[in-house]
Amino acid sequence: MKLVIFEDSSYSNFFPLTYPRPVFELRCGASSLAAKIERQVGQRADAYLCREYLAETLAPRSGATKINDLGFIKPGEEVLFVNGRILAKSDWKFPVEPGCFGCEGKIGWWRTRADVTKIKTYADLLAAAGTERKKACGAKCFEYMWEVMLESVHVIADDFKAAGKSGVQSPLRPDVAVYGDKTLLAISEGVEIHPFVCLDTRNGPITIEAGTEIHPFTRIEGPCYVGPKCTILGAKIREGCSFGPVCRVGGEVEESIIHGYSNKYHDGFLGHAYVCEWVNLGALTTNSDLKNDYGSVEVHVNGGLVSTGSTKVGSMIGDHVKTSIGTLLNTGSVVGTFALLMAIGKPLPKFIPPFAWYLEGVICKGFGKKSLFETAKTAMGRRKKEWTDADLRLYETIHKLTDEERMVYIRKGRKQMAGN
Amino acid sequence: MTRDDVEKKVKEITARVLKVDINKIETKHRFAQDLGAESIQSIELVAAFEDGFEIEMDEDEALTVTAVGPAVDYIFKVVQAQHG
Repeated sequence: MKLVIFEDSSYSNFFPLTYPRPVFELRCGASSLAAKIERQVGQRADAYLCREYLAETLAPRSGATKINDLGFIKPGEEVLFVNGRILAKSDWKFPVEPGCFGCEGKIGWWRTRADVTKIKTYADLLAAAGTERKKACGAKCFEYMWEVMLESVHVIADDFKAAGKSGVQSPLRPDVAVYGDKTLLAISEGVEIHPFVCLDTRNGPITIEAGTEIHPFTRIEGPCYVGPKCTILGAKIREGCSFGPVCRVGGEVEESIIHGYSNKYHDGFLGHAYVCEWVNLGALTTNSDLKNDYGSVEVHVNGGLVSTGSTKVGSMIGDHVKTSIGTLLNTGSVVGTFALLMAIGKPLPKFIPPFAWYLEGVICKGFGKKSLFETAKTAMGRRKKEWTDADLRLYETIHKLTDEERMVYIRKGRKQMAGN
Repeated sequence: MTRDDVEKKVKEITARVLKVDINKIETKHRFAQDLGAESIQSIELVAAFEDGFEIEMDEDEALTVTAVGPAVDYIFKVVQAQHG
């Protein structure tokens, strides 16, 4: 059987998180949505279907998995298409029954032996699968970006159970306190935990991957997943945090997802937030995740505000965002890819478009994308990663795609700046 | 709009944003070194030129212009292209 993971037309509900990556690469719990689907199906994806402009940068991360090309599938061979928005938890099994199963009006999954070799897009997939849908697929299928973050706290514990690798492989000093069940720890080899660190497993498991260093006076509450080569700097890591590789995290963090290579080095609160790759949050950057009236938080999606139905939603922060010291992010803020924010001593607007600069209280073009790309090149070089021509083409495309929306805000900012 | 009109307006906007005497602005002056523009003010200048001339400038191109005379030339070119 061949496994194909696809993204459908709902990807824009996850912007800015999904501007440079397909929906199925969003992180939830200890891994991506795609990794969980692969785990539950029991094999690597043979192909991905996603927006064409993502293919070039996705390819190096995908190994042998084909992208937007199903020409290798033999006629009559069984194929399982799975929607990349599905959360495949450890108790979920994809039924063996053939047919197309619906999921909130979209295809949840489709198991078929039809000729699918010409399919390159979700539109092709829809046409090939026809209109008949069997019962709703029953799996959790994320509709909006904040749902991924809100669910992650439960998924971390589920991923721990599924990984089945409890145990402490690095020596723990006697002055490291394990508060709770020690079998809920999974500490890999090569982890260095300094004196006076507290690992609190009373409410869930803690996984710490190889090469990570935990500095003194850090308190980590489970469920928590800390990826490889992270540095945790005397931080208060409250329940439900998941950090990708090579992150530096300090201050107070609660129920937040941080993709790899991002820094929140200093003090400041990050709660119920989703932070993409290569973000740098300046010292004392803080986000609100609760409104003063305890009402449902509204989030900017596709040009309008959507009520999340949750009282706890922090910031959704795109790739390569940089914030200055003392930046205050409002409840349910959306900060676009490559945005650069300067503090103004009060909460910033709830939406900052991609590649915009927020300076002295107005949204503007700033020094432009060329300067932002130079900074990205420098930041990536510091972590021994290369800013490639493919990265340049990816972000040039995203810049173009978001130009119209950005210019609306920039024209408004220009008027403000000119005092008109 | 003639080149002289553009030059007059560029000087007016520069004087207002950088808070300098318009009579002391010469085309040879550099915004940062001679007129004291800080980095954020150069962004304000670009925004003010765009607003004042009702044009859209490519920020990467615009920010390579560092003196009043070249700014006049560049803006005159953009005005011609965008307003005919």
